Amino acid sequence: MPPSNSPGPMDRIEFLREVAASNSTDGLHLKRASWKKPHRRHKATRQLVTDEWKRLSNTPSEANRLTYFNVEAPPSIYPAKKYCDITGLKASYRAPGNGLRFYNSEVYSLVIKPMAPGVDQQYLRLRGDDIVLK
Amino acid sequence: MPRDSSLPPLKIHTLSEPDASDTPEPFDDAADYDPNVPIAIDFGSSEVRAGFGNQDQPSHIFTNRISRWRDRRKNRNLTFIGNDTNLDLSVRSQAKSPYDGAIVSNWDYTEEIMEYTFHHLGVNGNDGVSNPILMTEKLATLQSQRENWYQLLFECFGVPQVTFGIDSLFSFYANNDATASGLVINSGNEDTHVIPVMNGKGVLSEAKRINWGGRQSVEYLSNLLALKYPYFPIKPSTHQFQSLYEDFCYVSVDYQDEIRKILTLEELETKNIVVEAPFAETVQPEKSEEELRLQAEKRRETGRRLQEQAKQRRQEKLAQKEEEYEYYTQLKEQMKDQSKKAVLSTLQSAGFDDEQDFKKYLVGLEKTLKRAQVLEAGEEEEVSLADKFDLVDVPDEQLNEEQIKEKRKQRLLKANFDARVKAKEEKLKKEQEEEEARQKDEAWRSEDLQGWIKDKRQKLTALIKTRKEKLKIKNDMKDRKSHAAQKRMKNIATLAEERSRSSAKRSRQQSTVDNDPNDTFGANDEDWLVYNDITSNPEALDQAIEEEYNVIVGLEQQLLEYDPNFTEEDTLDAQYDWRNSTLHLFLRGPRPHDSENINEQHQMHLNVERIRVPEVIFQPSMAGLDQAGVTEICETNFLKKFGSTRSQLSEGSKKLAANVFLTGGNMRLPGVRERIVREFTGMLPMGSNLNVRMASDSAVDAWRGMAKLSQAGSQYKGSYITRKEYQELGADYIKEHNLGNVLFL
Repeated sequence: MPPSNSPGPMDRIEFLREVAASNSTDGLHLKRASWKKPHRRHKATRQLVTDEWKRLSNTPSEANRLTYFNVEAPPSIYPAKKYCDITGLKASYRAPGNGLRFYNSEVYSLVIKPMAPGVDQQYLRLRGDDIVLK
Repeated sequence: MPRDSSLPPLKIHTLSEPDASDTPEPFDDAADYDPNVPIAIDFGSSEVRAGFGNQDQPSHIFTNRISRWRDRRKNRNLTFIGNDTNLDLSVRSQAKSPYDGAIVSNWDYTEEIMEYTFHHLGVNGNDGVSNPILMTEKLATLQSQRENWYQLLFECFGVPQVTFGIDSLFSFYANNDATASGLVINSGNEDTHVIPVMNGKGVLSEAKRINWGGRQSVEYLSNLLALKYPYFPIKPSTHQFQSLYEDFCYVSVDYQDEIRKILTLEELETKNIVVEAPFAETVQPEKSEEELRLQAEKRRETGRRLQEQAKQRRQEKLAQKEEEYEYYTQLKEQMKDQSKKAVLSTLQSAGFDDEQDFKKYLVGLEKTLKRAQVLEAGEEEEVSLADKFDLVDVPDEQLNEEQIKEKRKQRLLKANFDARVKAKEEKLKKEQEEEEARQKDEAWRSEDLQGWIKDKRQKLTALIKTRKEKLKIKNDMKDRKSHAAQKRMKNIATLAEERSRSSAKRSRQQSTVDNDPNDTFGANDEDWLVYNDITSNPEALDQAIEEEYNVIVGLEQQLLEYDPNFTEEDTLDAQYDWRNSTLHLFLRGPRPHDSENINEQHQMHLNVERIRVPEVIFQPSMAGLDQAGVTEICETNFLKKFGSTRSQLSEGSKKLAANVFLTGGNMRLPGVRERIVREFTGMLPMGSNLNVRMASDSAVDAWRGMAKLSQAGSQYKGSYITRKEYQELGADYIKEHNLGNVLFL
């Protein structure tokens, strides 16, 4: 079944058709005959999480229920270490204009100072510190 | 630089997209099918692993992706799943996942992938699938997920019974006894979690999840690289970023120490990774010497012709001007003895306003003529004209009209000639002076080398200082609000004001710098100071900096030659040496960069990223996650739970520490075990028994755990929910067992 070493485009399409045909499950009865596909079974994760939140707030509160939300790790109790947004090295300084952290004056004068507008927000987004307009 | 050529070239890795495969997913032999053997399916967000519980390896492992491909000729949609999506590049590019993040979001896809899985396992359908099923699910998954799974498995595939369990607990179970205790640290494709296990049972009340896994890491890496190389010629695919992550990223054993040292030449020699994107090289046809020569000849020829044409035009113009001049001088002579009225009418008919206008025009004409002649004469052969000025010194009375005209001409020419001679003399004198200064300097050097060096060094320091100031001003210029920029604007404003005020006084006629009689600029030396201020615009400043730089280089050359203490490293250029530049090392690695080189344009250097990306699970704040890292969560488990204190571990915690178990695809990164050993040793009380081990095969062990459970007799019996139970108790029913999720803590 695999095509020859240098299949032409037509061979390739023919080959794809063959594979698709061999994967066909028609007449194999893998699904129950009574099964009807439900409608609209595609929901984005954000929607699913919101639904779960609603469901949990509508059921009588039980403090010790295990939920998707309460297994999330809590915030750290230690102060976060600060790293240069550009290079990832340890940062001792912070740019006054946009709050980017940087390693040394070279990074500041060659990257942060001449930075095109908007790029600073892209850097900040990486550590979740950008301005989000809602 | 000669030093660089001695450096060996770095190893270059190519960024490649894997070729399309030629082998479709095989089918298991339907003859071996037994409807009573449980089927274990690890339906992960990156891969599906499926097989029968009585085997020790899943018989099918494929990427959890589905692709709808349009067969245009037959006008039909073909569906490809898993490894079959790699059979063609166009099929692969359209492949989608049933997952959206960590959660299954498309159940149509899921249904098809499950059916495909059963089909390839060789299941003999009998109004559904008659095998018991074992499935993985997330820690504390959404209830809607489980409802959908129940629906799909019981109602669609009609399976008799299903066991759901947490993937990392299955993996732990595969590598341990059924009653073992330990701390499971799992880092998968979508998240990382920690679950303590006590006597074989997962303690989900202490389990914690960090929303960061392999996929987020790959995304983080791709974002970092996009910002690092904003002008990179191609955009690598997610798949390519993933292989970069898997091949080159590693967990640093001591992160703080490593980032302190990594951007140094020695460290980069081993840690810098060069990745080159493929590109089609355009070869410039090499020109032969003969061709080049002909080309140059042609260029010269054209130049010569153009020059000649210009000269001819100039001469024609000059002749015309001379004629005009003669005519108007004659007119002037004639007008001498005419009445004022007649003069005015003659002039007006010739196109002048009045007599003054006429005079001015004449003066202007004379000046341009003079200039043009100088230019012309400059190009002619240097002939001695001195003898031709015979009429200049003869008084007018002795000459006839023709001669007077000739005399006037000669006088003009003589003035030119004299000026030229004078200029030549001055040039010569200047050269002489320079030569003298040079000799003097040399003499000084040979007499008093120390003094000479001291002087030159002082000059150099002063120049470098002014250069710095100029650079600062240049920088300030870019900022509209800076002092330098404001001063300049003020200057321009003042100048504009003065000009408009003085222009009112001027005559209406056009005046140029050459013939404006009202223009007295330059008569006073102070006039020229205005240029000092006004020229501080960025372009002029650039020029000044450039000039100054040349002087500095000249001085440095001298010092290099004669001052034994002044070496290459002291020069200004050396201070911009790429070896000293953090950014160069970061962007271009431990080699000089040639921005013209097409290969180097297609290269990315991975250095800090290699440890920065995997570090996020230890310090989630780096990527903006407000969550504790893996170590901190484990610290809480060890030191604050199960009755432990900071100084004394309880028996339970001791059992956890003695069996720390790492699993999940993202834990395959090198160095992760060493890092965890290091951090845990630092956090646990002295002398604690710590034992950290990896799952024998992080990716497949969850499936092995399911297979093991399916053969475990009584333990298996307690873990599944049957179709009857589902129908009676509903979709939110959970069968709690050691390795599964629970409803209540």
